[in-house]
Amino acid sequence: MHRQAEKHYYGGCDVGSTTGKAVILNGEGIAATAIVPSEIDPAHTADIVLRKACERLEGLPDVRSLAYLIGTGYGRNEVPFANENISEISCHAMGVHYCDAKIRTIIDIGGQDVKGIALDETGAVLEFAMNDKCAAGTGRFLEMMSRIFRMELDEFSRLSLKANRIIPVTSQCSVFAETEVISLLSQRKPAAEIAAGIQASVAKRSFSLLKKIGIRPQVTITGGCAKNKGLVSALAKYLREEIRPLSLDPQLMGALGAAVTARMRVEKPA
Amino acid sequence: MNRKRVQDKSEKPSAVGLIGDLLIYARYSLVNWLKIILLVIKHGPFDTIRDIRRYPWILVLLQVNRLLWRFIRGRRGRYRIATAMVMADIVASVIRMMDDVFFRGELLVIHEDMIPPEIIRAMGLVPFMAELMGILMPMIRPHSVEVYIDACENAGIPPDICSLPKSTMGLTLKGHLPPALAIITSNLPCDGGMSSYALIEKELRLPTVRLDIPYRFTDEKAVDYFTREMKRLVTWLETHTPGRMNWDRLKEICEERNRMAAYEMELWDLIRIRPSPMAGEPVWLSHMWNFNVTPGSADGTRTFKRIVAMGKKNLEEGVSTIGEQYRALLWNPPTIHFIDIYNWAEKAYGISLIMDSMTFHRIDPIETDSPESMLRGLAKTIMAGPMARHTRGPAENYLNDIFHITKHFDIDMIWVAGHIGCKNTQALNGMLRELCRKEEIPLLIIHYDLSDPRIVSREGIIEQIDHFMENIMKAKRL
Repeated sequence: MHRQAEKHYYGGCDVGSTTGKAVILNGEGIAATAIVPSEIDPAHTADIVLRKACERLEGLPDVRSLAYLIGTGYGRNEVPFANENISEISCHAMGVHYCDAKIRTIIDIGGQDVKGIALDETGAVLEFAMNDKCAAGTGRFLEMMSRIFRMELDEFSRLSLKANRIIPVTSQCSVFAETEVISLLSQRKPAAEIAAGIQASVAKRSFSLLKKIGIRPQVTITGGCAKNKGLVSALAKYLREEIRPLSLDPQLMGALGAAVTARMRVEKPA
Repeated sequence: MNRKRVQDKSEKPSAVGLIGDLLIYARYSLVNWLKIILLVIKHGPFDTIRDIRRYPWILVLLQVNRLLWRFIRGRRGRYRIATAMVMADIVASVIRMMDDVFFRGELLVIHEDMIPPEIIRAMGLVPFMAELMGILMPMIRPHSVEVYIDACENAGIPPDICSLPKSTMGLTLKGHLPPALAIITSNLPCDGGMSSYALIEKELRLPTVRLDIPYRFTDEKAVDYFTREMKRLVTWLETHTPGRMNWDRLKEICEERNRMAAYEMELWDLIRIRPSPMAGEPVWLSHMWNFNVTPGSADGTRTFKRIVAMGKKNLEEGVSTIGEQYRALLWNPPTIHFIDIYNWAEKAYGISLIMDSMTFHRIDPIETDSPESMLRGLAKTIMAGPMARHTRGPAENYLNDIFHITKHFDIDMIWVAGHIGCKNTQALNGMLRELCRKEEIPLLIIHYDLSDPRIVSREGIIEQIDHFMENIMKAKRL
């Protein structure tokens, strides 16, 4: 049973390892969004991000007024007042499908895992592959690398785009990659070229993962790392495909997919 | 396609039913443990301890009855009894194997898993399938072969070789294989398996014969060739061991095998019906054990006969094994260190893993008119056996079987146990993925290692299945 509200709002809350995201939909479309850094307690993260999103809407006093709420992400079981929780794989697929129905392949690079998702024309998941066992190739890896350069991630991303050539960073392991990068910096190799090498190594790992599910155009990227222009550019080179930009912040796709599904649950109950 | 469905009249367990189920477990468990204790008494407790120190795998095999609970928990009535019966067969034959090692060791012949033990038995010799340790030990105790895998890798064997031959090589390197008269091996089923016998031969310094098994299993000329190879095997064994071929004994074994195969065909007809009146270990483990480890044993025939009878009774009464919601094909060797995956899948999602690549072995009965016809029948059986026909030759050998089974048994999804050490099937799985997408059959490729849970644990396998069931099948845990 879904909750009744004066005005129907549907919520999706994606509690990730690095950030918590919330999207609220109404009958017309996206009504509010919010992103906050993750707290230690996933329930607390969900509470903060949902409250923040609700505050942006008049006539929605709190999360309990949502007609239906779905939790997703690694902390999906901890979202307070959620009607149900759904895997982030399905939510990313639905969120992307909502933004662009032509997308058939998604690479989702989050803080602690990477997923390749193949979807059909309805937004349903056909197949997926994931790496959630190794930090190399994840957002955490890029954060580590940017710290070596004493830069914020945005700055690090822009730095890699300035490179004329790429210095390959060969390590498959984030610990050894760090050693390799420090060694390259101490040899006074150009920082931009090393940064481009780091982006290329992440892009290559993502490409390998996507090959497991088959790469069908159109392709897009979601997750926090989608904002990393250097990575997106490196990945496009490996794919030899354009990576389609999305109409909404790609980091919000999981929460958006959850909210879209929440609306479907009310409008077309299973 | 057979899409006959019967109404599932399985009821919630009553108190009497639950007590009955408990008694089934108690009875089989007790009898199995009793057999194990009697073996220890027969061998002598001190000698048993001495042999355990010498061959530590004996200690693992003595715990074989631990599998009983893992297989039967949650199952009820005839399905529970059928599962327990299969386990009773396994316990009995593991005891027989240890009995052979303890008391008939002077006639032991080590053989690779693609070699038919029927011939060895008919010659009065004792077969010892070396690979069985790498299969059975992690089934009983999931981490038990790691010591052998590590020994093998420490000796310089590449770590990316299949963990099953690595386990066998490790056993050899640590001196844990029992003394034997000879070794029989072949050019099957994979590169890792073949190369392992180079090391085993060198370490054990035993006379070794290699059978050349052709992969064109439908070609009569290839069958002729392999029949000659079988004759060569008999002659070789008569030269290098005290064994002598007893053709009457071979005839008895082959006829018993045929009787068992006939019952199995009946069982396969039964399990086409949805919901299935029989599934799980009574289908797959009974095949794996009775056709590969102890073919031609009267116990196996009796078990199959009773399983079929119980399946028919279930069908008559409209009772299914579980609340079957889905049917899946499990392709490739089972997840050995998560061997109760069948039971888990039934309880977690109502999935019957109804058929698997190791069980699906369509063969004609062996003609027993003459020695020639028997050897020819056995030759055909091996050539067309699982893995033999899948991992060599054209990809259609692999793919056609999968899609035939999917249609024949009305399968809803395919699970491929994507063993990281099996290079032969990795490219084939890429082709399979494309075809499944085209045919709109949901496909799950489980990343894992056959015998080594350190690569992907039981929990890691479950996590992959959960993701698949939630995202692709849109199914919730029961």
